[in-house]
Amino acid sequence: MFHALPPTDEGNEMKNSPEALSWLSSFPKFEDTWLGLSYAPHMPKHMVKETREVIAIARKFNDAVAKPLALKLDRLTHEDMDYLPWDLVGEANRWGFYTMWIPKMFGGQGYNMPSMSCFSEEVASACAGIMNVIGVHYLAVAGLITSGNARLAKRILREVVAGEKSGDPCVLALATTEPGAGTDVEESDLVDKGCVTCQARRVENGYIVNGTKVFISMGHVSSWTVLYAYEDLKQPSETTIGFVVKTGTKGFSFGSHENKMGQRVCPASVLIFEDCFIPDEQVLFSAGLVKKFTKKPVKDIAQRYIDYVVSATRPGVCAFGIGVARGAFEAALHYSSSTEINGRLMINQEWVQCMLAEMHKNVILGRLAYTEANNANNHRGLYRLLQIKPVYYYLKAMPHFWFDKVIAPVLDWELTSRIMGRLYFDLPKPEDQRCCSGWASVAKFAGTDLGVKNCQMAIEIMGQKGLRQDAGVEKMLRDIKLLQIYEGTNQLNRLNAFKCLIAPEVPQAKVFDE
Amino acid sequence: MFNTDPNDLKPFADLARSFAVKELAGKVAQHDRYPFGDFYQDILEKFHHLGFLGVTLPAALGGIDGGVAALCEMLLQICEVDASPGGIIFTQTLAQEILLAAGNRNLAQSIFLKAASPKEMLVAFPAYTNPAQTDSLPLVQKKGNDYNLTGRLELLVLGSLARQAIIPARHGRGPDYSFFLISLDNPKVERSEPVFTLGLHACPAVDVTFSGTRAHLIGEENLGHRYFGKVSPEMNSAAAAMNAGILRGAFNEAFSYSQKREQGGRPIFHWSEIVMMLASISVKADVAAMCVHQSCLELERKSSGYESRISAASLHVAELACNATTDGIQVLGGYGYMKEYGQEKRYRDARMVQALLGAVPYKKLDIIQKAVHAASCDL
Repeated sequence: MFHALPPTDEGNEMKNSPEALSWLSSFPKFEDTWLGLSYAPHMPKHMVKETREVIAIARKFNDAVAKPLALKLDRLTHEDMDYLPWDLVGEANRWGFYTMWIPKMFGGQGYNMPSMSCFSEEVASACAGIMNVIGVHYLAVAGLITSGNARLAKRILREVVAGEKSGDPCVLALATTEPGAGTDVEESDLVDKGCVTCQARRVENGYIVNGTKVFISMGHVSSWTVLYAYEDLKQPSETTIGFVVKTGTKGFSFGSHENKMGQRVCPASVLIFEDCFIPDEQVLFSAGLVKKFTKKPVKDIAQRYIDYVVSATRPGVCAFGIGVARGAFEAALHYSSSTEINGRLMINQEWVQCMLAEMHKNVILGRLAYTEANNANNHRGLYRLLQIKPVYYYLKAMPHFWFDKVIAPVLDWELTSRIMGRLYFDLPKPEDQRCCSGWASVAKFAGTDLGVKNCQMAIEIMGQKGLRQDAGVEKMLRDIKLLQIYEGTNQLNRLNAFKCLIAPEVPQAKVFDE
Repeated sequence: MFNTDPNDLKPFADLARSFAVKELAGKVAQHDRYPFGDFYQDILEKFHHLGFLGVTLPAALGGIDGGVAALCEMLLQICEVDASPGGIIFTQTLAQEILLAAGNRNLAQSIFLKAASPKEMLVAFPAYTNPAQTDSLPLVQKKGNDYNLTGRLELLVLGSLARQAIIPARHGRGPDYSFFLISLDNPKVERSEPVFTLGLHACPAVDVTFSGTRAHLIGEENLGHRYFGKVSPEMNSAAAAMNAGILRGAFNEAFSYSQKREQGGRPIFHWSEIVMMLASISVKADVAAMCVHQSCLELERKSSGYESRISAASLHVAELACNATTDGIQVLGGYGYMKEYGQEKRYRDARMVQALLGAVPYKKLDIIQKAVHAASCDL
């Protein structure tokens, strides 16, 4: 007899049976694997419309700003080593890009966060550096919002919104990396053995911070920096402390900005803190604040905090990488469509067609990777709350004055921060966090590796033309390499993917414990 | 002379190594800066004095007659420190070899034997192209015994440093082309500023426009591809040597850094993923050096199909170098991306060297075309 569904051991249908659940929970678990499928029924339909709008805006921006400026600004940064992108920041501010993905409750335009990945791909296809001038700001936004400190997040993000209205941009940066500690500061398991030196010493009404941060994107042009330091350098994982510090604060200065190979339009700054006093009201995250909403160890909460930020930002870095991969593909496509070898257009040769198809495939695969990593965040992570359909449509429907007059004061309540702290750090299941963090890492190293691959293929197809700065691809090859390094090197991301997605299935597996 | 005896090559290797360490090391980033162009005037003087601008050139023509194996050894040593001077030596040798392959010994003697300065000695050449594989070469018009060039040529390497250049040009439609010697001081030659390229910044290239520029034919008309093909095995070996040097430099810097930089409280050298990356770069560097050595042996023996085998070795070494220099940056993390360190430059230079003598896909296709041609000749 024919069965539409195979019978279970007990003779029942497999659907929803205990046996089926058992099969589905074996490695790789259904819930950790087909994320888009699980998320699709829950997605507010309006997100599609919104994402289409975002992509159209990005393409218009590319046409008007990014494409005409990309090579010009790259050359300018070589001519003038002190160049800083003030004009570009002003332009991005006029286009509303610094508030576009700030939630409406904090005064922003409230576009859905995954749409930023699509935006990133578009703009990075024209210039990864210009995209970084916009995108790094949201690394700090993520650091603010996921801290759970609603009062401080509101204060800073409202300044960003005010900066957009006044035409005086208020851009944010985030500072974690230190001269002797890059990978270490992204992992609680490593940081206690690492060489961190940025110390916050408790004084009356605040902290005195001493130390140096390096490779801080947009440091020189930011108005506020989200800064991480440690109260006890021997136990940094237990004493991580986050601040917001305003540019111009006494004791906070900038060193040089780095002489990078690519993405030169976006400065990477050295930040120097010398007896810099930061008042208590600018403490974003600390052991004291954590204890107000959870009894879990501060070390665990600090790692969750890091995971939240990178789970949100690493799919974006994947999108950057895929944008560059697409830019390289488009350059190779244009070149081979307009170049004849021995009287025959290159594009009509099979090997060229296959290479272009391979490059296009890389773009498609990378796009799927960041989409699925965002689906993890949508379904089981940071964006989940905002994308519950009633919440999503409520936030869309309510006018700005409602948030300004009614919601904004609520964000100042200590109770609100406690609730947000619990929502972010206490309630989520560890397996959800692992899923989001693991997928973000997979997307990050997949997308950026594919980006490097496409740039290499483009430069090979284009021969000597590809070597010239004025042809664009050589800049892409310089730009893309940075994406394999920041937001955790791709090696760290591989280890994190192992830790989050594979190691839980292998009881004897240990990570960072060689 | 093709001498692959290590004992005979040692003086060349020692000379190049000591020169690189003494004269190039420590100044690499400084010589890589925009605007590109006249970085290495003092180095060029020394190159000229030591005979580095005529390594394979016979002594009777003003060279040091070292042979290709010596050239490769010297390029490997120099490019380990900085690939740009290697690019200068490569281009100069390529131009000289074309002249000799075309049988213009007297012309070569008149240029090189009495050259009193690097400018007089240097001959610019479009080293990043195989002229047969580009449709955009200058056109040549013949009036009596005179030839005149019109049109544009991109990336003429050493065009801003040399007094003369060898230019490929076509007489009309079709793949055939001829080589011509022109004076770059001719007012009918317009040179751009050094082009902003991915790497090898101290080995500048310019775009050149000819407007009825008088030219001297090298060899015979329409036989450019034959001369280019004749010198390709030697120059492919030289390109492989350049990338082998870059690879060795990438490994040395990564290895050294891994012992100083700490992660999780111990040198990154003690983390097995870093060790694996170092091992991977080391394997590539060693294989590259062996490919260069084997290429030199092939050149000496010239057994059937040696040209394709050397081309394959060069392509393979270039691929190894492009991959390994990407990992070379990765070992250094953020510092690897900064110009104060050498790795980012190697990442760029390896791709420039890969493009020498033409685009990668066409080099691959050429190997099979040669095989098909050889098979049809055997029938």
